[in-house]
Amino acid sequence: MSELIDFLIVSIALVAIGIYGLVVKRNAIRMLFSIEIIANAANLTLVAFSRGLPNAQGQTFALFSIAIAAAEVAVGLGLIIVAYRLYREIDVAEFRSMRG
Amino acid sequence: MVDLFSTPILVTIILGVVGLAIPAIDAGRRERGADRNKIYSAIAFGALVVAMGIVVFRIFTGEVLPAVAFSQDVIVDDMFGSFFAIALLLVSIMVTASSWNYYKGKSNPAAYYSLILLSSIGMVIIAYSTDLVMLLVAWELMSLPTYALAGFAKRDPISNEAAIKYFMFGALSSALIVLAIGLVYGITGTTNIGDSIGAMASLDESLMPIGLLAVALFIAGFGFKMGLVPFHMWLPDAYEGSPTTIGALLAAGTKKAGFAAALRVIVLGMFALNLDWTLTLGVVAVFTMILGNLGALVQKSVPRILAYSSIAQAGYIMMGIALAPYSDQALTGSLFHIINHAVMKSAAFIAAASVAVALAGYSLDKYRGLGRRMPITAIALSISLLALAGVPPLSGFWSKLVIFGAGINSGPLVEWGPWLAIAGVLNSALSLGYYAWIIRKMYMEEGPDMSRVKEPRAIVAVLVFAMVFMVGFGIWHAPLLDFASRAIPDLSSSITQVTMIGGN
Repeated sequence: MSELIDFLIVSIALVAIGIYGLVVKRNAIRMLFSIEIIANAANLTLVAFSRGLPNAQGQTFALFSIAIAAAEVAVGLGLIIVAYRLYREIDVAEFRSMRG
Repeated sequence: MVDLFSTPILVTIILGVVGLAIPAIDAGRRERGADRNKIYSAIAFGALVVAMGIVVFRIFTGEVLPAVAFSQDVIVDDMFGSFFAIALLLVSIMVTASSWNYYKGKSNPAAYYSLILLSSIGMVIIAYSTDLVMLLVAWELMSLPTYALAGFAKRDPISNEAAIKYFMFGALSSALIVLAIGLVYGITGTTNIGDSIGAMASLDESLMPIGLLAVALFIAGFGFKMGLVPFHMWLPDAYEGSPTTIGALLAAGTKKAGFAAALRVIVLGMFALNLDWTLTLGVVAVFTMILGNLGALVQKSVPRILAYSSIAQAGYIMMGIALAPYSDQALTGSLFHIINHAVMKSAAFIAAASVAVALAGYSLDKYRGLGRRMPITAIALSISLLALAGVPPLSGFWSKLVIFGAGINSGPLVEWGPWLAIAGVLNSALSLGYYAWIIRKMYMEEGPDMSRVKEPRAIVAVLVFAMVFMVGFGIWHAPLLDFASRAIPDLSSSITQVTMIGGN
């Protein structure tokens, strides 16, 4: 059981790092990776719980989640590339043409 | 096992095949004519109408189960899902039909319609899913195409900015949902919604904080899509910046799918955990209404006003969800308002798209004298705005009446219920401030140019349909209200049933 707690502590630390990155950083790619760290912390939680449970649903679910996260990153990086072409910059603080 | 001929599977097959066929046809065609947009719009429209026909047909033949809260399968073919499927497919149909005009002469029409179809599959499957894995996959199938669609005007910096903001918050919300599902799986050992709620009801006292954290993460994750108040900051930018028809899809479609997911998971979870979350949700509802309406008052661009008003409308729907344990009427009112809002909001956005096509502008100044320049668009926009404000005898009035009535009737059980209703009524009055302002601009003021403009034909057809819906169901609201009440699962009996399974 103590193993599970170790995994969960790592996972909580990853979530905290992700939220820190999301709040502090202004570079679009850094923010994207912060979100990915949170998603991977969630996957770690799923796999860690799945080890101690009699079924493998958690691991299956983690596989689904990893595949989906990959698709998400592809879309996100595509959008960031378009932003770079338009602005020559990927600092989200520069994206403020809409106000009000 | 899942029946291969159940409604959700058939809808998925039809929309999926057509959604994948459109880019394939486009790749195979030699000539790059300007009629591409029309052909693909017609194909996508046809597929959505067929899917809608199947859903409606199966309700009438009685093959659809009555609304059940839980099932052992990953998806269930019940009335709750069918209700949301009709509301969401209605939005997709209106969006594709109006894109016939709006998307004329723009690049990559094949991908545009294909993504709309794929997103529609996701939205429909969310409403039918009874397993958290299915829910997450459908959630992402809904979200990923809309990120691309929001940024579809590649050369337009505003569209790209909208897409990046929408993507960041959308990706964060799905990460939070995965985390919440992970916690639920950890403490209950299953991903089936019914089983896990049953297990939560008999949860060990020491694991209770994790259960609470999971519910909070679910509320945050779904709340981002629903535009509830602490999670709403991305919403006006995303709805304003994306192409206007896509704004309709986001405001009327994905938001409603968020409510479908929230109803499947959070509301039932609250019942099972015996939590006193209703006051929290009530406070969230009040703040959502107030912030949405106050934000809309100071805006200059019509899509942005509509975006803020859709935040306010989410507050009204949330009010019904908060009152759900105290009144039978509350959830019926919420569902009734969901289908009404889907039509009202997409009609308003599509009217804005019509102005964007004909006059190339979104700002309120362009709307001066619109009553004479584009009469059908102006009257449709006026009716949908009045319906959003809840003016009788339009359809929006009845759904608000049911929700506020539920608030007042729940007075004996919960003392803040009537106050919630009062807040809702005051907010409706406040919202009339900016709706009436737009209508005044259109009919009372004269623009620099008062010549008659040709209105885009497909958009006019969509707007006429929406007007018939809003006025027709305003005069005779009984069938829609009855349909909404049939879509509500019997909460108390399903909870007892599932707790008995969990107790074994």
